[in-house]
Amino acid sequence: MKNLRSFYNKFKIKDLLYFVLILPISITLISNGACADKLEKSNTIIQEMISKAKVNAIETLKSDQNEKSLRISLLIKEYINLNFMAKATTGSFWKKATFLQRQRYKNALLQEIVKTVEDHLNTLSTLNYISTDSELRGKKLIYVRGRIEDPNNNKPPVNLLWKLASNNEGNLQILDLEIEGISLVSSHKAETMTILRKNKGDFEVLLDKYNKKK
Amino acid sequence: MMKNFKYILITLFLVSLSLGGCSGSKNVTKESDPFENLNRHVFGFNKYVDQKLVNPLSKAYVRNIPNGARKSISNHLDWMELPVTIANSTFQFDLENTILASAKFMLNGLTLGFYDLDNGETEILKKDFGSTLAKLNVPEGPFLVVPFLGPKMTRDFSGYFVDRQNMTNVSSTTVNDINLFEIPINVIDTRSKLSNAIDKLYNSPDPYTKMKSYYIQNRRKNVYNEKYHNIKNKNKDEEFEKLLQ
Repeated sequence: MKNLRSFYNKFKIKDLLYFVLILPISITLISNGACADKLEKSNTIIQEMISKAKVNAIETLKSDQNEKSLRISLLIKEYINLNFMAKATTGSFWKKATFLQRQRYKNALLQEIVKTVEDHLNTLSTLNYISTDSELRGKKLIYVRGRIEDPNNNKPPVNLLWKLASNNEGNLQILDLEIEGISLVSSHKAETMTILRKNKGDFEVLLDKYNKKK
Repeated sequence: MMKNFKYILITLFLVSLSLGGCSGSKNVTKESDPFENLNRHVFGFNKYVDQKLVNPLSKAYVRNIPNGARKSISNHLDWMELPVTIANSTFQFDLENTILASAKFMLNGLTLGFYDLDNGETEILKKDFGSTLAKLNVPEGPFLVVPFLGPKMTRDFSGYFVDRQNMTNVSSTTVNDINLFEIPINVIDTRSKLSNAIDKLYNSPDPYTKMKSYYIQNRRKNVYNEKYHNIKNKNKDEEFEKLLQ
């Protein structure tokens, strides 16, 4: 007993015990707090983007097409990780593309997203977006679930799943959007990869197809 | 009797085709398209019929029929499909969906389905024989593009015959005749709702592949359970995490 007491006092076991017990608890609390913070921020970003899109729709009602497209482009560049989407939709062919081809592809992707948003902007301004929940997935990914509802009940609600992650600058950006289970990245990837595989990875053929569409 | 036998043979042929296709629900995230060349030709044919016939008819339908009337027609068409949902929910032992679908069918039957008396508040999952086969772990089989009917997985296409046959057996001759008349109305009504999406699809660089991707993702989301969605999301997450490195 005497030996045990002297052992305890000598090695400051009491302090060590505090350290062993309190440190993991503190780390867990801090990281949970950080996670909750990140989830909250993701929800805020989605809400913010949708609000800005609605405001844009109202402010550009009487503007010309170029100005509308420009404002939507700026919004998309701020909230969507185009670099990631370009890589995700071209698979292993991305590495073989030249710098110029990559830039042109990213531009083509941007134009496609701008056109989609323009087509639905007027409808979007009459609908309500409701955030339902958010979830941390692995080390970097965040899932944010939401729903678009028609206040007049003319259209059925549409379930959305946003996938976000921090970019190189540490800002959260959208990587993908699933609308009723349909992933925009997966759909686009299926199309792009089919074209690239049939043309032996020739990016010029893919870019030509996008140019012809215009 | 001969007609029934014919439908059974077609179903068995298609189910065996799907069993010979994808190896089962373990590989359900992969897509099988061994008939791609033929499918592309049929897609081209369907697109031609759509652009020349169905699309102009659906535009005329939207122009000439008021929104309220179109909503009523749409409600009626949804109501006519409820018996298929009821039957297949029963086969799948989904008691909640069976009861809700039955109640909705009886309630809206008061207006022959033209008016949705519960205002769309009851959420009912649409089920067909294809989804019943999916529950029994029958593989989805190769992707098909069927003339006039459009995209189908082999398993779901065989299920389509069973559903049609069940409806023919259950209803009277008069109802079957009305049913036949409603098929083109259903096509036009659906086309009018999806007009923008379909036009945008035709403008994409590879409309066939895009259509296939949309159809398969949507179908799997409706037919498979939580386990599939977890596997799909997990695979996607791994792919995304690699790209983020």
